[in-house]
This record gives sequence, C-alpha cells and structure tokens, in this order.
Amino acid sequence: MRKILTVLAALASLSLTNCGYNAIQSEDEQIKANWSEVVNQYQRRADLVPNLVNSVKGFAQQEKDVLLGVTNARAKVGSIQATPEVLNDPAAFQKFQAAQGELSSALSRLLVVTENYPQLKSDALFKDLMSQLEGTENRITVARNRYIKSVQDYNVTIRSFPSNLTAMVFGYKEKPNFSVANEKEISTAPKVDFNTAPAK
Amino acid sequence: MTLNVWRVVFVAALVLALAFPAFADVAIPQLTGRVVDQTGTLSSSDIASLSQKLRDFETRKGSQIAVLIVPTTQPETIEQFSIRVAEAWKIGRKKIDDGAILVVAKNDRHLRIEVGYGLEGALTDVTSRRIIDEIITPKFRSGDFAGGIADGVERMIRVIDGEPLPVPSPTVNFGSLDDLAPLFIVTLFVSVGIGGAFRAALGRLLGSIATGGIIAALSWFILGSVGLALALGGLGFIIGFIADLFSAITPGTGRSRGGSWSSGSSSGGWSSGSSSSSDSGSFSGGGGSFGGGGASGSW
Repeated sequence: MRKILTVLAALASLSLTNCGYNAIQSEDEQIKANWSEVVNQYQRRADLVPNLVNSVKGFAQQEKDVLLGVTNARAKVGSIQATPEVLNDPAAFQKFQAAQGELSSALSRLLVVTENYPQLKSDALFKDLMSQLEGTENRITVARNRYIKSVQDYNVTIRSFPSNLTAMVFGYKEKPNFSVANEKEISTAPKVDFNTAPAK
Repeated sequence: MTLNVWRVVFVAALVLALAFPAFADVAIPQLTGRVVDQTGTLSSSDIASLSQKLRDFETRKGSQIAVLIVPTTQPETIEQFSIRVAEAWKIGRKKIDDGAILVVAKNDRHLRIEVGYGLEGALTDVTSRRIIDEIITPKFRSGDFAGGIADGVERMIRVIDGEPLPVPSPTVNFGSLDDLAPLFIVTLFVSVGIGGAFRAALGRLLGSIATGGIIAALSWFILGSVGLALALGGLGFIIGFIADLFSAITPGTGRSRGGSWSSGSSSGGWSSGSSSSSDSGSFSGGGGSFGGGGASGSW
C-alpha cells in the first residue's frame, strides 16, 4: 500500500512541474503558422490588384488619381518584407499594418469610383475580379482573427505564473497584435452595392 | 399561492431576459444531419432526398457537403457566422479539407457557400459566386427554396467531381485514432515490461492496478483527455492482469517475458481499439478546416 502511495505521489509531483515551456513553444509555432496565413492572403490580394486596375482602366481612364493611388499603395505593400521576424519587432509590424491599411482604403476608393460606370459593373471580367477580391478580403479577415486569437493565447501564457518565469529565462516577449484603431478600416471588406448612389 | 407562482415565473423570465442580451450572436446549430433546417422551409421529403444525395456523394467521392438554413445571422454578417459554423462542424476529411457548407439566412435574404481549403481550387470564389447568382438565387426569388438548394447542391457536386481527390476510405473517420495508435504500443510495452516488475513487487491485482494507473497518467500527460486516459489505463490493467495469468498457466515459462509479450501482442486490445463502430445513421464532420473561401450573395 505504501509503495502505491509513493508511486502516486511521484506521479503527482511530476504533473505539477509544468513550467509552460512546451506551451510557449507550441503557441509560438501556432502564431507563426497563423501569421504566414495572414501574409499569404494579403499576398493574394496584392496579386489581384494589377488585374483589377487594368480592368477598371479599360472603362474609366479619367479616374487617373484613384488608379494611381491603388497602384502606389500596392507597390508600397510589395516593398515590405513580411517575414516572421516582423512579429518580434513592433515597429516593423506597425509599418506592415499601415501599408496594408493604405491599400485597403485605396481599394475602397476605387470601388466607390466604379459605381459611376455601369458598363464596367456589367463587365464579366470585372465581376469575376470583384468576387475574387471579396473572397480574398474575407480570407484576410479570417486569417487575421485567427492570428489575433493565437497571439492572445501566447501573451496570456507568457504573462501568467509560472510560465512567465520560463518566458523570462528564455527571453520570450509579448508579440504585437493588430491594433483596434484601424481594425474597422481593415477588416470591413469593400462592398459592392449596386443599388445605392456613390457615397462621396 | 398562485399569485406567488406567477411572481416567481415573472422574475425568472426577467432574469433570463437579462442573462441573454439581445445582441448575442446566433448560437451555432447542432449538426444533426447533412441538412439542418431551422426555419421549416424544406419538407421532410426534401430533406430526406437531399441528405441521401449528399450521403451517396460522400461514399462515392469522400467529400462532405452540408446545408444549413437559419432564420437570421444578425448581428453577425453571414461570413462571420458561417466561418464559425465551419470551424465548429469541421465538415470534410481531416488533412484533405474537402468540405463545403451552403448557408442560407432566410430572413436576411443572404446566402453563402463556405468552401474548405481542399476545395478552393475547384469551388473557387468565382465559381461559388456563379452558382449562387445563376442557379440558386433566381429560384429563391420566385420562392422555390427547395429547388434552389437542390440545384445549387447538384452543381456543387458536379464541380467537386471534376477535382481529383483521394479516394474515400471504407472505414469511418475517427479523428484522434492517429494520435492513439502510438499510445497503444506504449500501453503494451508498459503493461508488459513494467507490469512484470510491479507484479513481482506488489502481487497480481495491485501490480496490475499500478500498471494501469501509470499508463493512465502517461496517456493523460500526452493526450490531455481524462476519458481516453482512463480507457487506456483500463486496457493496461487488463493486459497486465491477463499477461500475468497467461504466464501463470503457461507451464515452464514462469514470468518469462516472451510469454507475456506474445500474449500482450495478440492484438486483442489493438483491434478492439481501432474498430470504432461506424454509425451510418448519424453524421459528423471529418475534421476538415476552412479559411474563409467561397462566396456570398443575396436575393
């Protein structure tokens, strides 16, 4: 009987020595995976933009400044390296986020302009590009939400006892998250509404 | 007396009303079958034939499609609601992710085809959009919901059929079996190896109990699931106990490890563990994941 108790006590003490190191590892890895998904979907949007610009150009050449705005924003997004190292550098993360936000607003301006060209809106190619853009925006939203969740889990882990000690020893810091300030601007997909007048 | 009862009822109603604020998200419906209709739009024969069609498609192709009709998704958009449904239902096979869900929010007049990762190449955003715009919504506009859904699903099936997917396996998908297989081996080794030492020290019954306990603790560590840990622990106990009996009745072996090993590996525990009963009546997602692909529309 005593032997069994000894065995059980040993097991109990084993289960208590959970320093959270493995939790930090797996959550860190999850963040990386979710981040690549975010980048992946943003890339998909960036790839769509030139086609979209070209398709609009064919019908609305006089909207030069809007088209130029989208092209410039697209170029800026392309110039930022979104490696996982960005995640450990809040400044770089901010920059990435700002550039993507700029492209988002440039795109919504473009969509507002397209409202004035009925021929463009009934163009089959433009329609297809629009559904691709909508789908991509939705994927971005999903990917961002999953990233936000995984960063939350990770940040809670490295701030709560006892795993915060482990984090301190191994130098794990909190990861930056998408800020709420331009959350709305980024996460609302540009809507194509065929019934209302342009809101400008 | 009755007045008191009414007062209690009133207070209870008030508490309930306060507990569930009006802005709460719509709860995710139970996955009761391949077709879940919360609005009573489809007749039972519609649901039966649609489910049959989807079941045949799954046995033929392996890919899962589900249909969900809800009154409303407010305050969420249909995109937000349907990704939540997709994450909860896990339609489609694990790692192949070949699931798709047709979500209709009847009172909002919105619908969406939610496409799993593995089908994004076949059911592209553009294709999904066309199925919605050209096949489903025209029928919805004329009030033919059953026809619109049936035709839409038919077209989805035809599109997915054009996509080369792994052939469906005849066995039912038991998601965590992959994680369990190595544990069975661990169970065998521990119960036969350590079990022998324990039995020598503690006697047959106590030794087997200790063995089972260790296995349960180990599985609980690895799997983090108490139920599975208990099951494996029980298995370890039984193997330990039987192995002991076996070596006891085998003449000349005594506590030879060979004897107990062969009895342990007689695959009784193994096959009983892996042959989970396939319940063809009910329906559950195979563990497919979604990333927001697909298209939405309205009528």
